[in-house]
Amino acid sequence: MEGAMHADLGDGACAVATHGLTKRYGDATALADVALRVPTGAVYLLVGANGAGKSTAFRALLNLERPDAGRAEVLGLDVSARGPEARAQVGYVPDRHDAGPRALTCGELLRYAAAYRPTWDAAYADRLARALALDPAKRVGALSKGNARRLQLLLALAHRPPVLLLDEPTDGLDPLVRRAVLALLAEHLADGPTTVLIATHHVAEVESLADHVGVLRGGRLVAQLDRDALHRTVRRYRVRLADGREAQRTMRGEARDVAAVLAAEGAEVREAAPLRLEDGALALLQEEVPA
Amino acid sequence: MLRAQLRVVLLALRWPAAAAAGLLAVTTVMVVAEWARGRGGIDFNPELSIIPGVVGLLLPIGVWRGEDRFGDGLLWTLPVDRRAHALARVAAGWAWLLLALAVFQAWLLALVLLTGGNVLGDQVVQVLASGTTLAPMGAVEPSQLRTVRLPAEPALWLVPFTAATGAYAIGSAYALGVRHPVRWLVGPLLALLLVSAVGAAAGSRALALAPSGVLETLMYGTYGFDTLLTARSESLHTVARLPSGAVAPVWLALPDLGHWVAATLLWTGGGLAALWLAASRHGERRRA
Amino acid sequence: MLVTLDPRDERPLYLQIVEQVRRALVVGSLRAEDPLPSVRELAAELVVNPRTVLQAYRALEEEGVVYVRRGQGTFVAPAVGGDDAGRRALARGVAERALLDARRNGLGAAELVAMIRELAAGEDDDGGRDAR
Repeated sequence: MEGAMHADLGDGACAVATHGLTKRYGDATALADVALRVPTGAVYLLVGANGAGKSTAFRALLNLERPDAGRAEVLGLDVSARGPEARAQVGYVPDRHDAGPRALTCGELLRYAAAYRPTWDAAYADRLARALALDPAKRVGALSKGNARRLQLLLALAHRPPVLLLDEPTDGLDPLVRRAVLALLAEHLADGPTTVLIATHHVAEVESLADHVGVLRGGRLVAQLDRDALHRTVRRYRVRLADGREAQRTMRGEARDVAAVLAAEGAEVREAAPLRLEDGALALLQEEVPA
Repeated sequence: MLRAQLRVVLLALRWPAAAAAGLLAVTTVMVVAEWARGRGGIDFNPELSIIPGVVGLLLPIGVWRGEDRFGDGLLWTLPVDRRAHALARVAAGWAWLLLALAVFQAWLLALVLLTGGNVLGDQVVQVLASGTTLAPMGAVEPSQLRTVRLPAEPALWLVPFTAATGAYAIGSAYALGVRHPVRWLVGPLLALLLVSAVGAAAGSRALALAPSGVLETLMYGTYGFDTLLTARSESLHTVARLPSGAVAPVWLALPDLGHWVAATLLWTGGGLAALWLAASRHGERRRA
Repeated sequence: MLVTLDPRDERPLYLQIVEQVRRALVVGSLRAEDPLPSVRELAAELVVNPRTVLQAYRALEEEGVVYVRRGQGTFVAPAVGGDDAGRRALARGVAERALLDARRNGLGAAELVAMIRELAAGEDDDGGRDAR
């Protein structure tokens, strides 16, 4: 059943992929047999409640975490065998807001990071710093949460990596800046082929940007599909029940199959309304979406 | 990688370094003023190497400050082998430590020369005769003391460097290997206190005194931490009170160069081994 | 040209962009030889994956609605404008959506048409504001 629900994205053109990725911390399962498939060039939105395993998945992709089973690949590189090479391809915004050594200024930290990145684009870094209103003379330790996040975004983007892993990229930013940051990200994608994996609680603000969605629930990838498949297969149905009352049901599946399932219960579909991506993703996140 | 780490450590430590330089300047003024007022010059004294030792021990705090040591901070997500990266950071800190020490020693030498102190000459010292101990309050009979000539020991100029290196290796291993530094410091001390308390409650003098004995041996034993830091000159060198009421510097025993070499190898070797293990905690996660 | 996306619209985003460009042509806010915003600009403005904009522009190019001048960007084709075919296509789209909505609400086509006539007549009485 699980397999049928996953759109077959194939293996060949995935910039980021995991195979049976499993990670446990004691009794708690952070990831269970997760098979992410992020096609090259996609903006893949990873949704999940807190503790659903999003950050663990990111950490595994950077080889910061040794999986109990399975493996992770970035651009076809097995990260456990070739961690440094894989990380060279990745721009990462971590969950936490410590950007780096506190005594350094932002400018110094950027120059430090640049030393490790042959592809660092100093002119672009300057432009980003201006666009993000980041003062290079400010000490890293004195940054607010929002400014630390801007600095982390700059660190992730300025070397123009083919893969971006963004864990709550707009966390700590005020609403206007969030929009500006996402616009910057869209521009960034226009400048070169880039694959993006975003985890965020603010699904609405990236719903036009994302073209793929993965849903983690309790460490399991319960859904993974592209935007059009999500719109097609997760809908809100207004149904007339056998006793004549009307009810709303959010159901997952092709319209025909859903109608058949409902008919078996004696309910008749009156209307099938598409959901916006946010509602669709949230519906998949909740247990009660019947398939 | 090492160059980048040398740069970043220098930047991270510039304010503490500036503060230390300021302190040296103030000390210089004070020493010179004392000397100008006719007090004696200062001698080179291996006890002073306790300063480099303590600096070496604490330096890792500055070197690792602000790094998400056990998280996914910038340091660990850069495209280089992580254990090598961690060791490069440690090495960078060590390089600056040695440079700072060289400056410190040069400063000390200059000060000793300026004030006409004893640089490397022989010293005449009073030593407690073997088989006797110092009475409480440091009271001593003149008959217990013997006067000996302590030969010059140029190797003692190395003590600050080895002391700082060994202490820095241990401190770095601690900073890098332990997720909760405070817990790991307070925990064992509490455990020792507990043992002591249990011993006292049970009326077992041996058990009650065991923890302080352990600490004593660790710190001031023949191969204790103090031997690493000051070639034992700190713990062996004390003051005694003669019956006349005069106070005189006294050595409990003469420091032994062999003990110092052994202790240095022991502590530094142990520190480096621990450092390797600690850095390995941050290594690439290869599949078993 | 003003492009807005409707998150509730289940059609692919690129089709929404295509449709809005077409509408802009029909209503005259875009004319022959006008430049379209660059992929980068429009992607940033809409906060969409630039690939989506590119896909839309390609579809428009295939239809002959726009053409690409090398190194300069995308422009509206010379022969395109608010022609009748375009207006018909636009009207068709609006009608299709209205009809779909009517069916969802359990209304028949005849009822819908009748109501539209009635409303339109009411507007004429109000001030005779009928487009062209």
